[in-house]
Amino acid sequence: MSLLEIADVKKHFGSVEALRGVTFSVEPGEVVGLVGDNGAGKSTLMKTITGVYTPDAGSIRFDGIQLNGKQPGEIRALGIEMIYQDLALARMQDVASNIFLGREPTRRVLGTPIRIIDRTRIEQEADVMIRKLGARVPSVQYIVGQLSGGQQQSVAIARALTFNPKLVIMDEPTAALAVREVEHVLELIRELKRENIAIVLISHRLTDVFAVCDRIVALRQGVVVADDPIAATSMNAVVAHIVGAA
Amino acid sequence: MTLPATASPAGLPLAGNGEATLSTETATRPSLAPSWWSRLAVRFESLVVLAILIVVLSVLSPYFLSISNFLNILLATAVIGVLAYGATFVIAAAGIDLSLGSVLGLSGVVGALSINQVGLPWPFGIVLCLVTGAACGLINGLLNTRAGIPAFIATLGMLGVARGLALVLTNGVPVYGLADPVVYLGQGRPFGIPTPVIIFLAVGAIAHFVLAYTRFGKYALVIGDNESAARAMGVRVERHRVSLYVVSGTMAGIAGLLFIARVNSGDPTAGLNYELTAITATILGGTNLFGGRATIIGTLIGALIMGVLQNGLNLLAVSSFYQQMAIGSVLILAVWLDQLNRRRRMR
Amino acid sequence: MTRFRSIGIGLAVALAATGVALSAQAADKPVYGVLLKTLSNPFWGAMEKGIHDGADAAGVEYFMQAVQSDQAAEPQLNTCNTMLERKPAVMITAAINSTILLPCLKRATDMGIPVVDLDANLDHAIAAKAGVKIAFTIGSDNVAAGKQGADWLVSQLGKDAKGPVLVIEGLAGNITGQKRAKGFAEELAAIAPGLKIVASLPGDWDGQKAANITNDTLTRTPDLVAIFCANDTMALGAVEAAYAAGKGQQITIIGVDGNVDAVKSIKAGRLNASVAQLPYLVGKEAVEKAKAVLAGQKVDEFTYVPTLVLTKAVLDANKDPLLQYVK
Repeated sequence: MSLLEIADVKKHFGSVEALRGVTFSVEPGEVVGLVGDNGAGKSTLMKTITGVYTPDAGSIRFDGIQLNGKQPGEIRALGIEMIYQDLALARMQDVASNIFLGREPTRRVLGTPIRIIDRTRIEQEADVMIRKLGARVPSVQYIVGQLSGGQQQSVAIARALTFNPKLVIMDEPTAALAVREVEHVLELIRELKRENIAIVLISHRLTDVFAVCDRIVALRQGVVVADDPIAATSMNAVVAHIVGAA
Repeated sequence: MTLPATASPAGLPLAGNGEATLSTETATRPSLAPSWWSRLAVRFESLVVLAILIVVLSVLSPYFLSISNFLNILLATAVIGVLAYGATFVIAAAGIDLSLGSVLGLSGVVGALSINQVGLPWPFGIVLCLVTGAACGLINGLLNTRAGIPAFIATLGMLGVARGLALVLTNGVPVYGLADPVVYLGQGRPFGIPTPVIIFLAVGAIAHFVLAYTRFGKYALVIGDNESAARAMGVRVERHRVSLYVVSGTMAGIAGLLFIARVNSGDPTAGLNYELTAITATILGGTNLFGGRATIIGTLIGALIMGVLQNGLNLLAVSSFYQQMAIGSVLILAVWLDQLNRRRRMR
Repeated sequence: MTRFRSIGIGLAVALAATGVALSAQAADKPVYGVLLKTLSNPFWGAMEKGIHDGADAAGVEYFMQAVQSDQAAEPQLNTCNTMLERKPAVMITAAINSTILLPCLKRATDMGIPVVDLDANLDHAIAAKAGVKIAFTIGSDNVAAGKQGADWLVSQLGKDAKGPVLVIEGLAGNITGQKRAKGFAEELAAIAPGLKIVASLPGDWDGQKAANITNDTLTRTPDLVAIFCANDTMALGAVEAAYAAGKGQQITIIGVDGNVDAVKSIKAGRLNASVAQLPYLVGKEAVEKAKAVLAGQKVDEFTYVPTLVLTKAVLDANKDPLLQYVK
């Protein structure tokens, strides 16, 4: 049984069919590159996996559990995390609050049933995660909106890794980065693979995909048009699949 | 798990030419960390404006600086203040509630009628005030989230419906004469402090606690900050929005109760145009009109600024026409001060 | 920012100290407190003039406050409370509705400050129950004013006249408006039963609302013969609507107040009549009588200032002695 099994998933918005029967799977610890042109359905597929959308047909199973119709919070709890292209951070909140967003630990107030957010625990654990990542964020009390782009991405990554995910989806993580930063992200992906965490890497940059992925899945107009191990394909072949020339 | 030493450490700011730039951002910059002011949830600029107003008015009028006058200010601010708490919760999540004044009026009328005409025992009247407010809030929330009607329009509609209903129920005539305990809520002075003031401050303390310390409050702010992020992180956005409107409706119900208690009558025109004043107080207190940043203590200070200004101008017998200009100017000045400081901190 | 802060705090402390010193001075001379409804209506402007002249004549000082509209009830209550801070010698108040000021006036009574019911807005029974002691009431007899309007209308149209009549009341629930409408309706029914009131709707003292009511009523009842409005602002609105509909000559329109705008309109031949309430006289006498109360003299419980029906004829002749009080 694969870690993530996507079987014939369909999704439409009004008359637009975004996903017309997508099927592929991800094994534990595997790094899968997901490529495709704009409008191919990558973003819709990811939102369907994470629970923002519900599929109209088909099934998504994670660790054997049916994901269809579950809320995003439930799906995160099962071990799927996503790092969004726009980072999905609350920029007026501090780093610690962002890392624990949606999963804040609480404690009782003076023994009453009233629960407040456990600020101390959040700050301590967020600090631990930031140090672990080696991120240059001087304090988890800083407001995210005032950090640099790279620092913000570290926060988004820290948030995705804090609750021991089994699968991390990264949506265009290198798109706006400088060369050294890109290499850093690729190294992070390799590190996660070493820890047996599966990755789905969505990217336009085929060099990055070919640098770290085990397998590459190409989407075109809502269906999978190619699903090959990296060794068995080439950049030209992939491009041909993306544009429909294959 | 650490990153290999060969890679450049995360957090170095991006540079177009591929070179890492060691800017001062990575060094400890005190203004990035929240100062103890903001941890206390107080916006410094609001306090400064309030302090300046108090000082100036003390100089201009010999009647200003007295305990009984300060109690007057608090009493005059109580109803609008409670309304402003409601506005704060809703605006924090990037919503808006224009129906606050009308719901205040309707809640008060329902409570007054239940005691005065239906003859229910007074505790029922009090509960009905709150329930009416909450129900209106629920309708607002559902219209916004289920029917997809923008909050501005949904609450604008409620403004008309609630006000009209209040007039229909009373035939336009105030319903005079409520039970003594209810009147005490509005006119009593336990330990010399008017009861509405005690309620205003107590409700404020609870509201502040909820907004600043609980998940409920945190999620309200995050929804206003970045709704799609909140949704992706598992926050039940629609459900939360509805609860926020129920909260603001309930606050309008409390304010309605305070109003009828103060004047011992259910007045269908109560709260006319109060929502704008409540929203002004909220903004004066540092709440971001577009959501994501809000505190109740800030709103309390904002309400006090307006109350102090109004009271001072009354003591100086300034015409009410000039008073309106003064209030508008203070709002612009306070927000401008905030913008200046914010920009300075960014550099 | 820290430097700014410390300077600010220093300045604040210095000025606060000055403020405390200044507030130590007490006000010795008795000052009268006057609380009107709103200055947006010329009726109250005339009343203020009367108060001003009355205070001059009586040699007393006063301070006057009003709120932004004649519907801002709670703000008027807050203003009343603030006025008590100045410990006025007497509180002369024109309440927006019959109950809103009672908590404040009770405090005034407890403080020993006499309360004057200016323009007869308070319901005496309810006020007494609330613990408010009213020194005296002064205003126009609003019922008599309505009656006068009806009498004049019948004098113009004849006792046997037949036709539909519209009544536009004041702010819903306001005792002044209720009395005027009641006075008009009862007198009309008594002396000219052929003139039937087809609608009696609240215009909230607002010209726009009155215009809309007139338009809607004309749609249902195009042969309207007369409109009675509980104040001039509304009457002027009704006049515009009637003329716009081409029925200006057909309909006899009567207002109440006799304010500056109404006088202009009557002289121009548009508004037919207004029952002038002489607010100037009310204000002037209110101050004179308040002085008497403070001097311990006995004053009538109710003082009704006479009203005068203003028409083009009366204004052109300019002979009536009461005209001097029309401001």
